[in-house]
Amino acid sequence: MKQFLLFIGKILLLLLLSAFALDFIYTTVLAQSETRNKVENVMNSKPQNYDVIILGTSRANNHFVSELFEKEGLRTFNYGMSGAHLFETSLLLKLMVERGWHIKSILLETDLNLSNEKRDDGTFGRFMPFMHSSKTITEHFKNESDFTALYYVPFYRYIQFDAKVGFRAWYKTLINEPTNILHHNGYYPLGYNPKANMKNNIENLVPLRNRYFEEIKQICKANNINLITVTTPMCTNVKGMDYFKKVKAMYPEIKEYEHIVEGDEYFSSCGHLNDKGARLYTKKIIDDLFKK
Amino acid sequence: MFFNSLSFAIFLPIVFLLYWFVFHKNKTTQNTVLIVASYYFYSCWDWRFLFLLVFSTLLDFFSAIMMENSTSDKKRKFWLWITIGINLGFLGVFKYYDFFAQSFADLLHSFGFQTNPVLLKLILPVGISFYTFHGLSYVIDIYYKRITAERNFIDYSLFVSYFPLLVAGPIERATHLLPQVKIKRHFNLQKAKEGVYQIIWGLVKKVVIADSCATYANAVFDNYETMNSLSLILGAVYFAFQIYGDFSGYSDIALGTSKLFGIDLLKNFNYPYFSRDIAEFWRRWHISLSSWFRDYLYIPLGGSKGGMWMKVRNTFIIFLVSGFWHGANWTYIVWGLINAIYFLPLLLQNKNRSNMGEIEMGWNVSSLKTIFNILLTFGLTSLAWIFFRAKNMTEAIGYIQKMITDFHFNSQYLSNERYNFELLFLVLVFVGVEWFNRSKIEPLSGKASWAKVAIAIMALMALGVYSDYKEFIYFQF
Repeated sequence: MKQFLLFIGKILLLLLLSAFALDFIYTTVLAQSETRNKVENVMNSKPQNYDVIILGTSRANNHFVSELFEKEGLRTFNYGMSGAHLFETSLLLKLMVERGWHIKSILLETDLNLSNEKRDDGTFGRFMPFMHSSKTITEHFKNESDFTALYYVPFYRYIQFDAKVGFRAWYKTLINEPTNILHHNGYYPLGYNPKANMKNNIENLVPLRNRYFEEIKQICKANNINLITVTTPMCTNVKGMDYFKKVKAMYPEIKEYEHIVEGDEYFSSCGHLNDKGARLYTKKIIDDLFKK
Repeated sequence: MFFNSLSFAIFLPIVFLLYWFVFHKNKTTQNTVLIVASYYFYSCWDWRFLFLLVFSTLLDFFSAIMMENSTSDKKRKFWLWITIGINLGFLGVFKYYDFFAQSFADLLHSFGFQTNPVLLKLILPVGISFYTFHGLSYVIDIYYKRITAERNFIDYSLFVSYFPLLVAGPIERATHLLPQVKIKRHFNLQKAKEGVYQIIWGLVKKVVIADSCATYANAVFDNYETMNSLSLILGAVYFAFQIYGDFSGYSDIALGTSKLFGIDLLKNFNYPYFSRDIAEFWRRWHISLSSWFRDYLYIPLGGSKGGMWMKVRNTFIIFLVSGFWHGANWTYIVWGLINAIYFLPLLLQNKNRSNMGEIEMGWNVSSLKTIFNILLTFGLTSLAWIFFRAKNMTEAIGYIQKMITDFHFNSQYLSNERYNFELLFLVLVFVGVEWFNRSKIEPLSGKASWAKVAIAIMALMALGVYSDYKEFIYFQF
C-alpha cells in the first residue's frame, strides 16, 4: 500500500509539474500575440490617438462602420466584441487609458447590455493570459467567485476557458495565423440572411442602474473623454420594445436610435443589422452626432 | 456525480481510504462501506430513485430465495415470471410507456382517428436499464440452477449497487461478481496500478476524444441541411468516435475504479473499430450487453439449433430488442434492424464466426484485405450510428440523403467555430495509439509507462474539452 500511495503521489506531482509547464508555455505564447483578438490587441498596444473608439457588444461590432467615420476624417476603431457585457467593456476601456491612449470620443452601445452586470465567459476568457501581468485585470476580476482558482491554480484558467484560450488558440497563435477580427478597423460586416429568424422577445429584460456603465462614465470624465451613448436598431417584430423606454427613463443621456433603421432587408438577424443596414445606421449617427 | 467530475475525484480517494484503512477488517465491513458509498453515489443524481434501486434489490433477492426453496417447477416458474414482470414493468413505465402511448396515438391518427394520449413524462432513473438487466440475469441463472441463491443480503446488495458499474455497466453476471464480493479483498499493488492506468486512459478517451468529437458531431448533425458531403461524412465519423470514446472511456474508468477495490469487472470493449466484419464488431462492442442478449434471449429462443430460419429470426429479434433497449425511439429500433441486416449475409454463409482470432498483419495481400475489411466494417457501423445519433427518422434519412447526393467536398466552417477537417489529426493519432496497443487493456502500462502517463496527463489538460461539459451518453439509457 505504501508503494501505491507513493505511485499516486508521483502521478499527482506529474500533474502539478505538467500544469506549471503548460501554464508557462500557454502564457508565453498567448500573452505576446496582438493580432488575433481585440483584448490582446489592446493589451500589447503602444499609446494611440483616436478620434472615436467604439465599444459594446456585437451590436456595436456589427453596426458601426469605422470606414465611414474615417471618411469624415475621424480616426476610428471599433472595439465592440461579440457577446461582451459592460463588465468586460469597462475593463477594456481601463486598459486603453492605462496604456496611454488619447481618445477624443467613446461611442458606446448601451441598450440590451445594460440588463446585466455579470461577466461574459467568452470575452472574459480572452483576458486570462494577462491575469498575472496586469494589476488592472486582477483588480477587475477579484470579486469573481472563481477568482482564487483562476489566479492561483496553474493552468486552470486555460482549462476553464479552453474554447477561447485553449490548445487551438495557442497553436494558431504560435503559427501566427491571422484572424479577421481586426479587419475593417474592427467593424465586422454581416451579410443578408433570408432564412434568419426575424423576431425576438425581450420582455424579460430589465435595464439596471449598471455599475459598469457608471464606471465607464467615471473613467471618461476623469480622462476628458467625450462619452456618447446610443441604442442600436432591432428588427420590427420584437416583443418588449418598451425596454428601450425604460432605458431612456433611467439614463436620459442615452440617445435613442433603435428605430432608425427599419425593414428586414437591412437585418442579418433580429438584433443585428447587415452591412447595408449598418451603413445607413452609421451615416445617421455621424450626421447627428459628429457633424454638428 | 460523473466519473469525469471534481466531485468524483474527491469521492473516490475518500472511499478508497475508508475501504483499505478503516473498514478493511473483513469482507462484511468492506462490502458495507462500498454499499454506503454506492448509495451515496447514486443519490447524487436523484435520491428518490434510490427507493427503486432498493426495491429492485429486495425483489430479486427474496424471489431468488423463494424460487430456490420452491419444490415444484410451477412455483419456480411463478417466481421467475413475477420477478421478470415487475422488473420489466418498472422499465416499461419509466422508459417505454410514453413511446408506446404516442406511437399508438400516431397509428390511430394515420387511420383518421384523433386521440389525446395521456403521457407520463417521467424522468428516467439513471442506470435503470443496466441494474434491471443485472438483476434479471441473476434470477434467470437461479431459475436454470446455474447458481445457488445468495442468502447474504449485504453481499447481494453490493452485487446490484456496486457504484463503478451501477449507472452504465458493465452488466455483470452473478457467476463472475458474486464470488468476488463473498471473500475479503487483499490489496494488490499490480492490480491497483493497472486500475489507475485504466482510469487515466478512460479519461483521455472521454475528455479528449469523445468530447472533442462531440463538438464537431453536434455542429454537423444540428445543421445537417446546410452541410456538404464531406462535412456529413466527417460528422458521422466524429460521432462514431464520440460514442466509442464516451462509452468505452466510461467502461475503462469503471473497470479501473473497481480494480482499486480489488474487484475485477467484465471487459466491455475490445477495440471494436478494428473488427473485420459486423459479427466480430458485436463480439467487441458493449460485450456485456451483447453476451447478455446471447445468453438470456438468443439461446432461450432456440439459438442456432433450429435451422437457418430460426437463426435468422432470433438474430433479428436480439438486434431489434438491443436497439429498443437503448431508448424508446424508432431511430434506435432502426439502428438495431440495420445491424441485423448487416449480420444477415454472414449468418446465411455461416461466416459469422470466421474472424475469431487476433488480427495478424504483415506485408502481404491478405493484410491489405484485412485493412479493407476493417475500413468497410467501420464505414457500415458509422452509417448505422447516424440513426442512433439522429433525433428522429426524418433527420437520419435527410442526413444520409444529403451526404450521398450533395457531392461537395470542400472544407466548411462549422457552428463550433472550427473547420470540419480540423479534428481528423487527433482522431488518427488516437487510432494509431489503439492499433499499436490492441493486445493490451490500455496503452499506458508497460515500457516507459511514466513518459506515457505524462503525455496522457498533458493531453488531458491541453486537449480536453472542459468548457462545453458533456455527460456520458450511456447514462440516458
